[in-house]
Amino acid sequence: MKKHLTIFGSLLIFSIAMIPAGFQRSLDASTPIAALLFDLGEAKPEHFIEAPTTEAILRGEEIVKLGRTIAPNGSQSSYVSKYYTCTSCHNVVREDPDLTVVNQDARLEYAMTNNIPYLQGSTFWGMVNRETWYNDDYVLKYGDLVRKAEKSLKESVHLCATVCAQGRPLEDWEMKSVLAYFWSLQMQIGDLNLSDSEKKQLAGTTLTNEEKIALVKSRYLQKSPATFVNPPDNKKKGYPYEGDPKLGKGIYELGCQHCHRPEGESDVVFDNSSLTYKWLKKHIPDNSELSIYEIIRKGTYAEYGHKEYMPHYTLEKMSDRQLEHLRAFIEHPEDAN
Amino acid sequence: MYKHLFMRPILLILLTLWTSVVFSQTEYAYETFDDTRVVNGHSVETNLEGVLTFIISHRFGTLNLGAYEVWGLDNATMRMGLDYGLTNNLMIGIGRSTFEKTADGYLKYRLLAQSSGDRTVPVTITLLGTTALKTLKRFDGIDLSLQQKLSYTSQVLISRKFGPRFSAQLMPTYLHRNLVEDDEQNDILSLGFAGQYQLSKNWSLSMEYYATPGSALPDGSGASPEYSQSMALGVQIDTKGHVFQLHFGNSRGMIEKFFVAETDGKWQKGDIHFGFNITRDFTVKGRRVR
Repeated sequence: MKKHLTIFGSLLIFSIAMIPAGFQRSLDASTPIAALLFDLGEAKPEHFIEAPTTEAILRGEEIVKLGRTIAPNGSQSSYVSKYYTCTSCHNVVREDPDLTVVNQDARLEYAMTNNIPYLQGSTFWGMVNRETWYNDDYVLKYGDLVRKAEKSLKESVHLCATVCAQGRPLEDWEMKSVLAYFWSLQMQIGDLNLSDSEKKQLAGTTLTNEEKIALVKSRYLQKSPATFVNPPDNKKKGYPYEGDPKLGKGIYELGCQHCHRPEGESDVVFDNSSLTYKWLKKHIPDNSELSIYEIIRKGTYAEYGHKEYMPHYTLEKMSDRQLEHLRAFIEHPEDAN
Repeated sequence: MYKHLFMRPILLILLTLWTSVVFSQTEYAYETFDDTRVVNGHSVETNLEGVLTFIISHRFGTLNLGAYEVWGLDNATMRMGLDYGLTNNLMIGIGRSTFEKTADGYLKYRLLAQSSGDRTVPVTITLLGTTALKTLKRFDGIDLSLQQKLSYTSQVLISRKFGPRFSAQLMPTYLHRNLVEDDEQNDILSLGFAGQYQLSKNWSLSMEYYATPGSALPDGSGASPEYSQSMALGVQIDTKGHVFQLHFGNSRGMIEKFFVAETDGKWQKGDIHFGFNITRDFTVKGRRVR
């Protein structure tokens, strides 16, 4: 008996010794990336929510998609914004086939294949896995207005609600609900397109925890880069690319018409009639917001008495070439069929 | 604990239904007319939920007044009004006109929307009910009761958008005036016609005509002046948040009872009033679904 216990004890000690240090989670496709990183020693971010409830997630989803929800006290909450919902500018699904790079062409193709709106804002899918928000030129242009938001998802939500959406600040329970919903949209291991050898490396002992964290983070962008660009110097000539009207049609339908639809966010409806195409085409060379180059690259501003405005597309959200696709479609919609 | 939670599935079902509507193959006609008014009368359009419209209208004197009166510009009547969308299909409005010091209010409901695809509906139908209160004191000093000052109009507005450029509308109209002159009728049935032709994305032409039967209009031999059928032609410019409507017509009143039954101008005599409507939209409340 004593001999048996000794053997069993030795095997147990050996087995425990074989467990990789600091790593207790089994890896499968549905493993949340954040949970894996926490296990590997990554600090929990400010926007972390411990075990969000289903009620909070549902509330958050309604706030994001409908603009309001039923408050915990049972009353109907007021709209966060009179003009927009979060989904006016943001998707809630994956947008990029490859999460490691900004590739506008790949994203447009992915959007057209999956009928996903092609919008100015970054998707909420994986938003909690980002480490900075309102990046790059947003900071350069808006300075202190966005500096706190750059480092904080909560501050970003606050900024988006009050400034971008021209609405009101979120109450504490609303913020928690939105974050709970965001956490339900976090990335999982299966989203990272890891190779078998990379999975083995993550599960094995050859890499330190820091190296494993680096490996995981190398498979997705921790921020959405944002570059503000100008319209072309000569709007008659446009950018030096040849446009593809078929891709332009995708941008028109999934981008422009997302808001410029009947009863949409914008008063100006872009239908599929020659009247609309002619009007858009006529104003292409204009030095005003009526030009697609001006409005897409610069957007418009909320004005007193007319708060509705259009946010611009950064270079990462619509490339110069894609703007030429859109122009090609507007000028020759018949070629898109 | 969360007794309200039963509402959440309902909201999500509504969201799903909305999504299914958005992605269904039914296409609804939109902007059949550029504004909620054609010229004097209403179009089938209603405000979106939560949108408040300030509308200011002027009708000047007749062109045949000549240069001294700047072809009518020296004499203006004016109506100011507020319209509000209670839902995307139901709106209310109030207004006050200097013409016979008349206040008015209305309720308008879009019953049916023209659509094609999975659900085909050939026309848009909107119901309109208006009330007008004439507060102008009588020249003979007789003080009228509230009831005597009131008149009512009911309209069924039936329109069809025939394409991106052309829309037409029929307006069967029932007008009741509580107090009329001996040579006028309390109840009048009229049939209105309206049309809009889109010249470009922002510019359009419009016309409006009310075929009020001659038998219902005084011929001028009695206490009332001679009244005619109302006809107007106009041009509309749609800009961001504003609609400008400039028009010429033989009616001076901007409320149904005036242009349906009390139009005292004749086109052939040059009794043509220049006028305009300018509207400004304000979003004062969020919308239930977009």
